[in-house]
Amino acid sequence: MQSKATPIREDGIYHSFCGLVSVGWLYQKIKDSFFLILGTHTCAHLLQNTLGVMIFARPRFAVSLLEESDLSSSQPDISAQIEEIKREHHPSVIFLLSSCTPEVMKVEFEGLAASVSTPEVPVLFVPASGLDYTFSQSEDSVLQALIPFCPPAPPDDKRVVFLGSVNDAIADDFSLEAARLGIPVAGFLPASHFTELPPIGPGTVIAPLQPYLHKTATQLRNERGCTVLSSLFPFGPDGTRRFWEDLAAQFGMQVDLSEREAAAWERIKHHTDLLRGKKIFFASDTLMELPLARFLKACGAEVVECSTPYINRRFHAAELAALDGVRLVEQANFHRQLRTITETKPDLIISNIITTNPLVGQGTVAKWGTEYCFLPIHGWAGVNNLVTSFTRALQRHARLDPLGSDPIWLTGMMPGSSGGVTALQS
Amino acid sequence: MRLAYWMYEGTAHHGVGRIANSMRNVHAVFHAPQGDDYVNAIFAMLDRTPNFPAMTTSVVSGTDLARGTIRLPDTLRQVEERVHPDLIVVVASCSTILLQENLEIAAQHAGLQCEVMVYDANPYRMQEIVAAESLFTDLVKRFAKPQPRTERPTVNILGPASLGFHARHDLISLRRMLKTLGLEVNVVAPWGASIADLRRLPAAWLTIAPYRELGLRAAIYLEEQFGVPALLDAPIGVQPTLRWIERLRELLAQAGADVPMPPLTAFSLDGMSAPSAVPWFARTADMDSFSGKPAFVFGDATHVVGVTRFLRDELGMPIAGAGTYVKHQADWVREQLTGYVDEVLVTDEFQVVADRIAALRPELVCGTQMERHTSRRYDLNCMVISPPTHIENHLLAYRPFLGFDGADVIADEVYTTCTLGMEKHLIDLFGDAGLDLPEKTERTPVAEPAPVAATVESLQPQNEPAIAVASAPSPTSTPPAPKPAAVVDPVWAADAEAMLKKVPFFVRGRVRGNVEKYARQRGHAVITAEVLLAAKEELGA
Repeated sequence: MQSKATPIREDGIYHSFCGLVSVGWLYQKIKDSFFLILGTHTCAHLLQNTLGVMIFARPRFAVSLLEESDLSSSQPDISAQIEEIKREHHPSVIFLLSSCTPEVMKVEFEGLAASVSTPEVPVLFVPASGLDYTFSQSEDSVLQALIPFCPPAPPDDKRVVFLGSVNDAIADDFSLEAARLGIPVAGFLPASHFTELPPIGPGTVIAPLQPYLHKTATQLRNERGCTVLSSLFPFGPDGTRRFWEDLAAQFGMQVDLSEREAAAWERIKHHTDLLRGKKIFFASDTLMELPLARFLKACGAEVVECSTPYINRRFHAAELAALDGVRLVEQANFHRQLRTITETKPDLIISNIITTNPLVGQGTVAKWGTEYCFLPIHGWAGVNNLVTSFTRALQRHARLDPLGSDPIWLTGMMPGSSGGVTALQS
Repeated sequence: MRLAYWMYEGTAHHGVGRIANSMRNVHAVFHAPQGDDYVNAIFAMLDRTPNFPAMTTSVVSGTDLARGTIRLPDTLRQVEERVHPDLIVVVASCSTILLQENLEIAAQHAGLQCEVMVYDANPYRMQEIVAAESLFTDLVKRFAKPQPRTERPTVNILGPASLGFHARHDLISLRRMLKTLGLEVNVVAPWGASIADLRRLPAAWLTIAPYRELGLRAAIYLEEQFGVPALLDAPIGVQPTLRWIERLRELLAQAGADVPMPPLTAFSLDGMSAPSAVPWFARTADMDSFSGKPAFVFGDATHVVGVTRFLRDELGMPIAGAGTYVKHQADWVREQLTGYVDEVLVTDEFQVVADRIAALRPELVCGTQMERHTSRRYDLNCMVISPPTHIENHLLAYRPFLGFDGADVIADEVYTTCTLGMEKHLIDLFGDAGLDLPEKTERTPVAEPAPVAATVESLQPQNEPAIAVASAPSPTSTPPAPKPAAVVDPVWAADAEAMLKKVPFFVRGRVRGNVEKYARQRGHAVITAEVLLAAKEELGA
């Protein structure tokens, strides 16, 4: 056991989604936006399979498709596609996302975006390629691109701006809670419309709602001189209390939410009883891992490993302090993780969407970590969703008939599988 | 360059992954950015694999590129240590192929015990189908060895693969028929085959390769190189299955094996009934109305040809149109569908297919996931007959498309997808049959003004998980359609609108669309009661 939370850094995470996937929630959050990816067939195949293209036939995202003949020109011309998007979708803003191939081609994206940008419909460059960004990280790039469009606020405008895309219901909760505590709210970044971005200035307090936005927070601090709240993220009774108390302190208020926290714990006692002493292993890829592990630790669970793609010591400082003693791994090697899982026999693995079914097939209880990017788990109202997301998996597996170790029920499910899973081949 | 929202085919590295994941002790390694690892998710989710898919991404990061690091040898060593494969297939991705690295040298550098094959799949020149078919053919060429035939007549089955459309079910159906004929299977590949199994391929007396997309070239190679006759037809439908069995017996007879034909009842599930209920079903009075239901069929080559012929020849349905996205099989599809359709639509742009469906407004659409979508938008009946698929198409029960069993499955699907005959007449005559519901946003989007787009999108729930493979389709999504070119959209006068309300709700959308189409053709800017009546008379709506 380490005395201070010291992350181990391994040689790389490879089971994870591309950063482009964050488009899936951002296009729904920013309702007058369009997301254009300069990419290849691979990007389109990725989006088709991971996002709602199968469900939403006309999403506000698309790929400007680089074909073989386009590879020779160093600076592609996307003006025709931009016109088509404007004609078909009438967006207020177009985000131009980079991807691996144009990065390898060394396309100069800033210039490309500028060449098609107009004052009426700005085209904003967003670095998001799968060479450098994983899953939720690209939201950080999108919000960075929005910063110049947040109007400046005068120094005496002392209000909070909540940072991170949350749905309207959660946003209402946070606005109401702030009002109840007497904290003045300037808005949310991102807002639901490009035209409604909040004013930000030296008096602004940035309160991060999502743990994957350190670049935006840092840039706001540097460029606008605002204060970035350093606290726990508002997940679970412990995190939510700390978040609001620390935020109130920024506005010179001493608030004691201990009773509120105790009542919240009391309401989920049935679930925390179930989690107490359970061994939990985080092998997911959303960057939500630190606050989720901290919440489970507070529930009395034993977090045997918390792997996460990246840790930012400053942005995650409060979470890291609360995770003292927990084994933290950055850029975990999946092969090594499997060995650790075999050794530690966790009761529950929070994994990513790629590895969950196979992990369950190995006889563990595993659940999608990916879901946490879409679940309403923020604040006091999210506590129940948060805790039941963990206990549901445990209870469901406990209720099911035990399959034991009899591989008969997996026979033929996977054509080429070895290792206890018999193939169909006679 | 063009704007793409959707692709029918996956990428080349996905095709390579499909072959590796089908086979035993074969592993694919993608020399690719971490973002390209998503193909793993397709296998783990759609095929619900209880084990890790047989593919690993050897990550290439921006930092690696800057420093000139190549992790491939390390990854290869880790893969060998973890899964002990007989063969590793290394493939580059769309971005790393531009780096023009020598992966052969990097792979040799790993010093592995197992065989390593660097597969040159240019993702700008080939997609999923060609990559998978070429790799599989290469593997067969590389490993199949001359050898004596098996003592008793045996058969190879080539083509079933991981993520193949109803592949597992088709394989069961084929095995059932072969068993009924008293034939043994020599090797199934790539499904469940090892490298050792590929070596044994030439020992068979016959190769069955029912799919145009996978296994075809390997079957032809086995015939040319080792004299193993190839049966390349797809037994889709009852008559094609009977012909397929005849051809199979002929080819085996030529090879010196007499395969006696058992009574047809032996092919049924209980061994004592008709092997398929389709011939009788098609003649029942119930099916009369189907002779007036035109169908549009789109998908891969195998399923489009099989299903188009089945609908017309065995169910007696008219064919409104057919097409495929498998461009290299377009000539074969045209030849097979001569006499069925005047023209075969060949395109891999889903918008083109959507426009064709919108123009034809068929009674039944047989297509991929995307046509299902298009059909929902235009309120048309649709069944999925070809990849790409959605998790909804990966069902548990036995649902083959091939053989007698497959004929029953397809016919059931057609029957339950279409609007029925007698019931429809009753409702047409008497109105709503008590089923009428308050009309929602039922205006067919053909006449929708463009700015509605944002509003409809905004109705979509915020918290819905955006992962398609994981979530059920949202019944609320009715995204607007593209606007028709250069034609003024007619508006509905109040009297016509009131009349339209009397049309049963579940066909109202279609009637509305047909009347609007009629009005546009005739240049009516306003649909009055008079125009509606004229349209009804003209269209028989």
